[in-house]
Amino acid sequence: MLLRASGRTYDKTYDLAAVTGALAGDGGVPEGDHLVAFAEAVIGEDDGALARARVALMTALGPLGLVDAAGVVGPFNAIDRVADATGIPLEPEKAAASADFRVALDLDRLAIVDRI
Amino acid sequence: MTDLYASTPFPIRDDLAAAHARAWARIARPGTRWDGAERIAIAAEARLAPSCKLCRRRKEALSPLSIEGTHDSLGQLAEIVVEVAHRVRTDPGRLGEGWYRDVIARGLTAEQYVEIVSVVAHTVAIDTMARGLGLEVLPLPVSVPGSPSHYRPSGAKVGGAWVPWVEPADAGEVEAAIYPSDRLPANIMKAMSLIPAEVRSFFDLVTHQYLPGEAMRDFSREYQAISHAQIELLAARVSALNRCLY
Repeated sequence: MLLRASGRTYDKTYDLAAVTGALAGDGGVPEGDHLVAFAEAVIGEDDGALARARVALMTALGPLGLVDAAGVVGPFNAIDRVADATGIPLEPEKAAASADFRVALDLDRLAIVDRI
Repeated sequence: MTDLYASTPFPIRDDLAAAHARAWARIARPGTRWDGAERIAIAAEARLAPSCKLCRRRKEALSPLSIEGTHDSLGQLAEIVVEVAHRVRTDPGRLGEGWYRDVIARGLTAEQYVEIVSVVAHTVAIDTMARGLGLEVLPLPVSVPGSPSHYRPSGAKVGGAWVPWVEPADAGEVEAAIYPSDRLPANIMKAMSLIPAEVRSFFDLVTHQYLPGEAMRDFSREYQAISHAQIELLAARVSALNRCLY
């Protein structure tokens, strides 16, 4: 939702399909393709892919950009665990604001309420 | 304490290194339900989990609960504690309320459970950044002796999550400061409010690795070397990879 809000502020439309991996490319975000590849490699287990993604991102954004990107991936990899392990629901206002792209991207299949 | 990354080839911000040092120091100290040695053992199990054979088999199974066995562990914690630390670390997108209820029925309290989740989350946040940069993980700290505080917020009650939480209106003096004063807290802030010290500690880390709360929606300027849009694309892709709707 903050990605969309950021786009609205700058009058840009980001393709949220880049978030789910349904769309290859940058999704309209500068260096988005490198950022997505980096996130996928950090969360994945292929160390070779991660090394390549790291070099590509540092080439694109510089060492400060790489450090901040790695920093951001860390807490979200953790926040997801806190959310999933405590069973918190999506807030009603966030659910309403995200209803259209949750349907478009089939994100509701991840709903915690459906898990045993 | 901020020399944690003194020998790395990357320009890690001082505030970020200091936040990691604070988080590591807090993990080493007695918590609310676990002592320092137990908290460090939980962090160690979080690190061991990806190589646990039972966790690997469960991760590959259509239904993780159909696979029984014993975790590969360091042997310092009860099996149920290891179960929570390993599952939260390795397969969070398939945790369910039935599993949580079973864990509680097998002897963990909700307070102990929340603190385990928090220690795992701290460890994951710091270790994931290290992996991204190709750095060795930080050595775990040495435990500080002492007893857990056993503090429980009097206003904690069952709400919208599996675990009890503290609504802002029910927050006492100790837990009042864990929530923003100018807006309602997001559910992710309430998630671990059964243990207020963990909320404070975890969001100190989040603030420095991600953004302070007030900066998240301040699109008038950029706070990092990457833009709001770049930050949010990373965050959203990570959550999708982790199959986390929240």
